[in-house]
Amino acid sequence: MSDNKHKWARKVGFGFGPNELLPTDVESWNNSQLTSNFKSVGVAKRYSDVEIWPQEYNFSFEDRLRRAGEYNEGKKEIENSKKLTSVEKKKRVRTLRDQTDVALFDVYKFWNSAIYGDDMVKQRLTHFWTNHFTVGGGGRRNYIIGDFIYRVIYGNLNASFDELLYKVTTHVGMLDYLDNAESVGERSESARWARRNGKTQGLNDNLARELLELHSVSPERMYTEDDIRNSAKILAGWGAHTDSVIRKFYRERRRGNPAIGSLGKFIYEPYFKDRAEPGRKIVLDNKFRSGKKSLRQLTDMLANDDFTARHLSKKLAIHFIGESVNQSEIDFIYNVWKDSKGNLEEIHKEVLNVTARSKERKFLWPSTWMFQAIRFSGSSFLPGFEDGNASFYKAVPSKLNYEPKKILEELGNSFWESRQPDGYSERKDDWVSTEHFDRRIKVASRIYSFQPDRQGEEIAELLDFSDNTKIAIDKASNMRDKFIVALCSPDFMEV
Amino acid sequence: MLTRRHFLSGTGAGLFLSGYPVHGFTKNAIKGRIVVVLLEGGMDGLLAVPPIGDDNLFKQRRALVASNPLKLNPLFGIHPNFKNFSSMLLNDEASIIHATSFPYVGRSHFEGQNVLQGGMLAPFSIKTGWLGRAMDIAKTAGKAMSLETPLIIRGANDLDNFYPARIKHSRLPSSETLRLIQSTHLNNAAKVIGKLTKNSMKMGVVSQARDPLSLAAEAGRAMREKDGPRVAVVKIPQFDDHSEIGTDTGHHPELFTLVDRTFGKLKSELKEEWKNTIVLTMTEFGRTVKENGSAGTDHGYGSVGLLAGGLINRSSVVANWPGLSNKDLYEKRDLYATIDYRSICAACLEAAFGLDHDVISERVFLDKTIPRTYGHIFG
Repeated sequence: MSDNKHKWARKVGFGFGPNELLPTDVESWNNSQLTSNFKSVGVAKRYSDVEIWPQEYNFSFEDRLRRAGEYNEGKKEIENSKKLTSVEKKKRVRTLRDQTDVALFDVYKFWNSAIYGDDMVKQRLTHFWTNHFTVGGGGRRNYIIGDFIYRVIYGNLNASFDELLYKVTTHVGMLDYLDNAESVGERSESARWARRNGKTQGLNDNLARELLELHSVSPERMYTEDDIRNSAKILAGWGAHTDSVIRKFYRERRRGNPAIGSLGKFIYEPYFKDRAEPGRKIVLDNKFRSGKKSLRQLTDMLANDDFTARHLSKKLAIHFIGESVNQSEIDFIYNVWKDSKGNLEEIHKEVLNVTARSKERKFLWPSTWMFQAIRFSGSSFLPGFEDGNASFYKAVPSKLNYEPKKILEELGNSFWESRQPDGYSERKDDWVSTEHFDRRIKVASRIYSFQPDRQGEEIAELLDFSDNTKIAIDKASNMRDKFIVALCSPDFMEV
Repeated sequence: MLTRRHFLSGTGAGLFLSGYPVHGFTKNAIKGRIVVVLLEGGMDGLLAVPPIGDDNLFKQRRALVASNPLKLNPLFGIHPNFKNFSSMLLNDEASIIHATSFPYVGRSHFEGQNVLQGGMLAPFSIKTGWLGRAMDIAKTAGKAMSLETPLIIRGANDLDNFYPARIKHSRLPSSETLRLIQSTHLNNAAKVIGKLTKNSMKMGVVSQARDPLSLAAEAGRAMREKDGPRVAVVKIPQFDDHSEIGTDTGHHPELFTLVDRTFGKLKSELKEEWKNTIVLTMTEFGRTVKENGSAGTDHGYGSVGLLAGGLINRSSVVANWPGLSNKDLYEKRDLYATIDYRSICAACLEAAFGLDHDVISERVFLDKTIPRTYGHIFG
């Protein structure tokens, strides 16, 4: 696979664009892709040069909560106003949303990183792990998904898996999305208080179930309902709704309490002792004491379980190599997982090694396909982060063009959408349908409209397309259609 | 108030007698239509169709019983939000199957959805769906009202889907170019591209709405055509709520209204063809009998199936009620499923496609032991 450098860069990244230099030595390129520190980049205007991503659009977690809080408060004020008509109210709320928005900048960063970033392998790994630990979008969660992607996932790509698992599990986004914010230990102080007042509070096992089923050991571990229930008891006390975290943060800040101190502890590790379930718990034959620290013990135990190594070695192999990957290829990754005790840098290195040796073809996600199509062809499809959206939604000009966000949704592959916690499928069959091809063709045509440097025939040559596909490209009657045929052929949809 | 009472209190053995006359396989175009409404996330069957005649219902989930269910018979009522469906029950064109499930007890959404669509006992063990396999035998076409082709209809030869795009300013390739794209692909990919025409890709030709109700309407319109698809799959997501699911009002009741309107919309759009149609709901599992600590319910086992369409001649609530006392529950928490929902799906296939029950059990569900329930629903 690594003989053709263009194909290799598509297999593990997003491909080399027309103005990118090819690496002289693939192995050292691989290495530096995994270990170097990179700076985020982006384009300010559609046809302008790539520059360093503005620091003001790298939102810290606190920035996100502050902006969400400003939106909440401002919206309330507008809606309570007696002077404004309902049309004016709507308009003002929309303007306010644009002024305080964060998600759209995150979406732009996501696109820019894929299309112009020097760290393409890390970006692909980020997409993989963000999908593995799905946090569905919706409401105020959209303010913090970028934090999840960049601080938690990207920031821990070279950590150990147990570190990543703990950070993911305790992130407000995850605790909110999988309902743990609702879960209260039945013998906790809070539940006893509720009972005295004629109310019920109890466990919600949603996050516990997915932690075992999806995030770590998988059903092959044959855990029981008691294991899930006891995991839920360990998790009880963790979590708050994104909304209430935003409110609390905003209130404290307004009170002039700048010290991050206890507030910081709360927003980064939202834990309520009075909701925690007291007493010992047993999960998969391991005993856990009561207290906040038991969650780290649980996630460590799960992270280091043999079934987790098996489950995730296979998932990584399927994602990068292809769905027909053979067991011996998976075993290479598994062995490194075991030997390195879940060191993600070592594991990722082995994923690249095994992928390089494999002849398997991988059907790419539509988002990966699209980013590759734009990067490889050199199209300026992506608007700049300073280009307004006036052309897309004429009625409401705002700071950013909405199309990048919408296109991901149209492809059925947005990381800001509400979706099922098992994430996007790795199977080709799940992405082949009449409507999916309709989207691919329309997106390919849009990409062509923004002056790609590489045309259909050149793409086919550089990527060693099959003769059959080359003939079809040749037969297409104009440059646009040649481009569309090239991009929508199996030779580009797979690699 | 519904007056007809066809409550079946038979035992399991009584329900599953076989030996009904066998429908022959027909070479003519199939008249029957099947619409599957996938209720994703696990519908709480006890909230939708509460067994109000079972005292244990109120003991187990006091706060999760609608205050004014419509009484169907001494044992069952139905949530008042099922207005259209209730009048279909009254008109002898709807039935309810209770305490039912696909044979899957694992309580995972993903495994459960795979089992109910694949139709196998083990999740992720097959790449086609039960409906797709039946369509392949019956040589009939289908349409999924979603962006992707759901597993349930994969395996059929003639598949299309509908989920209108919202990509503006895209210049479309010529029909000739579409054929060139098709020529680069093999198998299923080539087949589905073959469904694209320059006209079908144009925006604004059909309704752009993508909510379940609009999609159901579009399904009905397509299916009433003489050469239209005989099968459609409509998805209603978001049943996966674990807290504050609602009782008289709230999230689950709102979804009941949506399901109910979907039935109504299909009937009004299918027009004359409603009489040849069977609509059935499917959900991956029911919910826990007791409410959890956050006014919701968690993943369970047995749930309810709703059937409607002109192929039904006589309304009934088909159940072999397992009871709701603690000792009656599956693993002390879930409603038992006493009817294998595969047998209900098999009866629907028999009614709509005229396939022989043995063909359905052996070649669609790959399991000869599936009992024949045709007489209980379509008899």
